[in-house]
Amino acid sequence: MAEVRFEHVTKRFGETIAVNDLNLTIPDKEFLVLVGPSGCGKSTALRLISGLEEPTSGKIYIGDRLINDVAPKDRDIAMVFQSYALYPHMSVHDNMAFGLSLRKTPKPEIQRRVREAARVLGIEDLLKRKPRQLSGGQRQRVALGRAIVREPAAFLLDEPLSNLDAKLRVQTRAELSKLHQRLGTTFIYVTHDQVEALTMATVIAVMNKGFLQQVGKPQNLYERPDNVFVAGFIGSPAMNFFDVTVKGSQDGIYLDAGTFQVPVPKGKVGILNKYLDKKIVFGIRPEDIHSPEYMAPGIIASSIRAKVDVTELMGNEFFLHMLSDDKSFLARVDARTPAKPGQEIELVFNMANMHAFDSETQASLQSNSNSSRSGA
Amino acid sequence: MSMVQESSGTTHIFLRFLTSLRRLISRLPLHIILIGAALLWMTPTFGLLVSSFRPATAVGSTGWWTAFQTPFQFTLDNYSSVLSQNGMARSFLNSLIITIPATIIPILVAGFAAFAFAWMKFPGRNALFIFVVALLVVPIQVTLIPVLRLFTDVKLVGTFPGIWLAHTAYGLPLAIFLLRNFFGALPRELLESAYLDGASNMRVFFRLILPLSVPALASLAIFQFLWVWNDLLVALVYLQSPSKAPMTLTINNLVSSFGTQWQLLTAAAFISMILPLIIFFALQRYFVEGITAGAVKG
Repeated sequence: MAEVRFEHVTKRFGETIAVNDLNLTIPDKEFLVLVGPSGCGKSTALRLISGLEEPTSGKIYIGDRLINDVAPKDRDIAMVFQSYALYPHMSVHDNMAFGLSLRKTPKPEIQRRVREAARVLGIEDLLKRKPRQLSGGQRQRVALGRAIVREPAAFLLDEPLSNLDAKLRVQTRAELSKLHQRLGTTFIYVTHDQVEALTMATVIAVMNKGFLQQVGKPQNLYERPDNVFVAGFIGSPAMNFFDVTVKGSQDGIYLDAGTFQVPVPKGKVGILNKYLDKKIVFGIRPEDIHSPEYMAPGIIASSIRAKVDVTELMGNEFFLHMLSDDKSFLARVDARTPAKPGQEIELVFNMANMHAFDSETQASLQSNSNSSRSGA
Repeated sequence: MSMVQESSGTTHIFLRFLTSLRRLISRLPLHIILIGAALLWMTPTFGLLVSSFRPATAVGSTGWWTAFQTPFQFTLDNYSSVLSQNGMARSFLNSLIITIPATIIPILVAGFAAFAFAWMKFPGRNALFIFVVALLVVPIQVTLIPVLRLFTDVKLVGTFPGIWLAHTAYGLPLAIFLLRNFFGALPRELLESAYLDGASNMRVFFRLILPLSVPALASLAIFQFLWVWNDLLVALVYLQSPSKAPMTLTINNLVSSFGTQWQLLTAAAFISMILPLIIFFALQRYFVEGITAGAVKG
């Protein structure tokens, strides 16, 4: 199978534009995760690939084949739904065999594929049971098995982990990644959980309000987000944003947030020269804010003082909800840091990892040659 | 176990018994009212049942409640008389011939229609559905003469196909309404999964929708079966053929010819009741489910 390609695809539901001029290429054999908040158009984009929705305008290709008018069953794709959509009146075996029997696959071949898929997923003992006799995790495996036996060119997964408990979700994430490596087939996965995106994807596409925000490798989206939305969406806890003014001084450029000032490292000065005396959005991730006693070596440190509002001990680290006048932000510091609510403490920003965004367009001011509007 | 433990165990059981007793007593008035109403309601029917086993002389001279005093006079003659004479056996068969297709055909047609209304997109779908449901308000009486004229023109009067068609038409609005609501409540993703697996609409209908809709179909079958089995008016108007008369028509005729022979009338009535009673008790669960299915899931 070759790549899946959206060309200027728009999908309207009445007045609402669910997907707006989407241009996206999903390379063959990748694990692409479409991620974004509820209502961003990711599920619609998935359903457009499956054929369950038709685009209002634009073209969708699988390889060189235009599939706009191709029926869902002829697109050689298999879908795993959020609710699993198992046929309640059929056994696990019959659920998995249904699609194959419809295509008049010979019985021995059906048996072989069902047994093999059941073996891979560890559900051989469940073949005679009905869905209502299965746990959530087991049903999810059956749904996966039903897709696997079809041996499709691409798997489409619509938030398949949403209905699982937290522990099972973590376990299943790893299994899905392993499955992808084992099968070597394209996975197109939709989720609102950016942790799932970061952990499983080989390529992430972030969407918001029907628009594609950025496509790229997970590390690229994390280190070089194209705009404020992607910066705030990818990474947990979310990036801190401050409205600052770029000011010049004898020693160089600094960012004035009103209640604190931070110098801009030499490597970043070039991009901010055009913004002297102008407002920009300054972003810094909680993990790039350290306590001075326990900061990692090699960071470009810039101290500020702020008041501790709330503390959350996570075991291996401390989340400090800080207040600097009316500005609140979050810091992830070493668990040994002495900090109590109400206390004013010193924190250090690692300005090597600072982010800067245009106040009006919200676009990143840092050049991003590694990211593009395709998955390549 | 120590004495203390033993006595606390006994106390526990006693307390549970007291709680159950208290619950029973608090519900007693309600139970008495319900049982009383049920007995009152069943009394006339019970009286008819008793009368059907009494000889003509007893029925004509004394009330049915006296049957439980000596001398006991019970007989099966009434039933054998009704069955062997007056074409009652033939009528029973006719009732079956009329009712079974008139139950299956509307359900099948309504099933297809309900699936289309629930899951297929086509222009005018909503308007057409409203129109079909609106037909529920049309009284049968209004249709009798026009349909009779139509049947006369196409020579369907006095034929079984004619009466099957009539019952199908009368039963469709309700059947479509109930089934459409039930089908529409099935999870969308289930059908989408089937389409992706390669199922056509027909396959989805027969292998997915129908098996999952057994409660709704069963309750609809009971409604329709009872309605057609007990129907007199439609048979009276459209059949007009003594050899094809169902039981309702035959019993109606018996009233005029055996007006005072209650023992025969009651026996005939109970013969007519047997089959619906069997079906009702066999599918009782679906009947109750079906009453709420369309309403709640709609």
